[in-house]
Amino acid sequence: MSASTDFLPPGLLEHLGGLDIIAKTVVRGFQAGMHRSPLRGAGEDFAKHRDYQQGDDLRHLDWKLYARTDRLYVREFEERSNLQCYVVIDASASMDYGGAGSVTKLRYASYVAAALSHLMIGAGDAVGLAAAGDEPRLLLAPRARKGHLHDLLLNLERLRPGGTGGVAEVLDRLGAAMRRGGRVIVISDLLEEEEDAALVAAAGRLRARGDEVIALRVLTPEESGDTPLEPGLFFDPERPARAVPATPRQDAGYARRVAAYYASLADRLRERGVEYVPLTTAQPVEQALVAWVNRRRG
Amino acid sequence: MLTFGTPGFLLAGALAALVPLALHLIRRRPPARAPLPTERFLAADPRTAIRVSRPTDLLLLALRMLLLILAGAAFARPVWLPGAEGTSKIVLLDRGAAMAGGDGWRQAVAAARQRLLAADGSPRGELVLFDTGAVRVPRRRVTAALFDSLAGARPSASAARYAAGLRAIPGAAREMRGADSVRVTLITRPRWGGWSEGIAPLRRAVWPGAIDLVALPDAPAADSAARDSSAGEAKRAVVLAGPDATAAQYPVDGLRATGWTVDLIAPGQPLPDSATLIVATGRVADAPSGAITRAVEGGATVLGDADASLPRHLTPWVAEPESDTLATAFWLADGSHVTGASSRADGHPAAGAAVIAAWDDGEPAAVARRVGRGCAVYLGTRLAAGEMVLDAAYPRMLERLARGCSSPGNAVDAGAPLDAGARAVLAGAGARAVAASALPSAGGGVPLGRWLMGLALIAALAETFLAYRRKKAA
Repeated sequence: MSASTDFLPPGLLEHLGGLDIIAKTVVRGFQAGMHRSPLRGAGEDFAKHRDYQQGDDLRHLDWKLYARTDRLYVREFEERSNLQCYVVIDASASMDYGGAGSVTKLRYASYVAAALSHLMIGAGDAVGLAAAGDEPRLLLAPRARKGHLHDLLLNLERLRPGGTGGVAEVLDRLGAAMRRGGRVIVISDLLEEEEDAALVAAAGRLRARGDEVIALRVLTPEESGDTPLEPGLFFDPERPARAVPATPRQDAGYARRVAAYYASLADRLRERGVEYVPLTTAQPVEQALVAWVNRRRG
Repeated sequence: MLTFGTPGFLLAGALAALVPLALHLIRRRPPARAPLPTERFLAADPRTAIRVSRPTDLLLLALRMLLLILAGAAFARPVWLPGAEGTSKIVLLDRGAAMAGGDGWRQAVAAARQRLLAADGSPRGELVLFDTGAVRVPRRRVTAALFDSLAGARPSASAARYAAGLRAIPGAAREMRGADSVRVTLITRPRWGGWSEGIAPLRRAVWPGAIDLVALPDAPAADSAARDSSAGEAKRAVVLAGPDATAAQYPVDGLRATGWTVDLIAPGQPLPDSATLIVATGRVADAPSGAITRAVEGGATVLGDADASLPRHLTPWVAEPESDTLATAFWLADGSHVTGASSRADGHPAAGAAVIAAWDDGEPAAVARRVGRGCAVYLGTRLAAGEMVLDAAYPRMLERLARGCSSPGNAVDAGAPLDAGARAVLAGAGARAVAASALPSAGGGVPLGRWLMGLALIAALAETFLAYRRKKAA
């Protein structure tokens, strides 16, 4: 595994150029940081044994069976061809927040989406793109061809923050648009003021129909309370009319309340079989992905 | 040594600097609006809504205070003066044509040398030579050889203008080195004109002290030498009484008080041959048959007043029509100040006449002119009228007028009967040795005001730039 210092901070990634280069850079760092590739064989299911024939790949020999039966069998797999995957980006106004000296959450989410798309298309999966913001949009239908990655990255570049989100509505639309057994990756700050129940419900519905749902929560250190803010009159970008005078530095309960909110949300998502992955913009993207995948593999 | 010409501005600047400090301290401003998507988790803090400390404003505050302090210091006219002790001297040496007669020029050079050269020959100040213009001799060139060469040279053929010398004073004071005070001495044969125009530049420089005057005697006349040689002869005068014989008694008594032997005679009576002074008061003409003229041409002095009807050649004065105006007081060359003159004759001195007394406004009050071997003196008021005759200085006035065209003596100093401008220069407003700390007003030392004003300007620009950025960022 590479040292953590090999990972590029988001602020530095931003200077590399377009999302294409950023995605390749992240994937390179991601693959170097992996114990094992998380996607090798991910699309393969065991089908049956057959007799070994000359020319078969020796890696597919079932040595345990050979030990028991003294005969050579080859394990045959049924490839999961063309897994449909949707990356859902939250492009609401709240995602335009970046804190001090860091990239915005939307930009960070774009990095993550680009890197995952790069990996999944490389593994033969079909990847589509949807966004929540001013209005729920299914931007790109899932495709597995290599050239699709370019369209996907282009759409990611064109995303502009605005609106109040509505991730739940996007998930409901996805349920109607994609075939069962797909994968939905939601990248969002998951700040659904009164609709977090709708979000959890929509994710649960996808899970119920056999889809894999992964919620990547993106937050800045300022939002999580790790980096204290100066006193000011704070407003939610999605509701700018309301402002609260506050001194976060002296508000010890702020970080606790944020953590409690996400803990509660994570519990409810997990109850419905949704994988909840907390990310922070202070963390290099590839490092976050490596940590996630390694954690996933146990 | 740092001194301030107007230290009050320094205090004013310091006080003014407190104003932005107070404004920064008491100013309430709403806190800056900042986006935060997790705003819902914040606990409202009402204190924040009232006032927010903005440490970034400290730089702006410091710039504003610095600007005011620097401006105050600049207006306080700071001057850096070299730390030194002693009195530097500036000698204004008149080298105009008036210095040519007799031994005056050599005396003047000797007087300047005595003041500017120490016993060991080292210079003690600067020399300014002036006639129609001024030439400053730097301190390093003030040597015995310089004075030797000056004594061997001749004064200029042009009449000197005092204004030229007076205007050179601030510049010379500015070059002062190695002293904490400066003293100015003017060596000249005092004349009436040319002073007043020199006052304005000197006043602009606000020269804070007085100027010493070393007055050299006038050039000796042909008969004055004889008169000086006969100093011991009896002073015999006759007063020709006009219609008011009683009034004529005042000059008689006045002259007697100063040692004259005086005869009061009526018009038409013969003049005694021994009379060296003939005083004509009231409407006295040259009678009988030109006796006064003959006496004057023989060496006597005739003193006529504004009412006398002496012939023109015995009256060195050109009267103006409607000549009598209200008079005040006049000065004599020996410093006597005579008040209570009853009238004042307007007009001007006749050709060849010398002014020997002046009104307070500098206009000639008495003039004298040679006539043959004698002298004709004219007093522009009535000699035996008004409260003047009761003035304690009246006898001295008569004595001085009686001397006529003879040398005024070398006792003239500050307060001499010079015009008002001359007296203002000589009297000054303070001590004769002007302290270095008072010299900034005259241009001495290294002025720092412009530099401080430049720094204040830079601070102002920086403040403007910073304030603009703050406003833009907000």
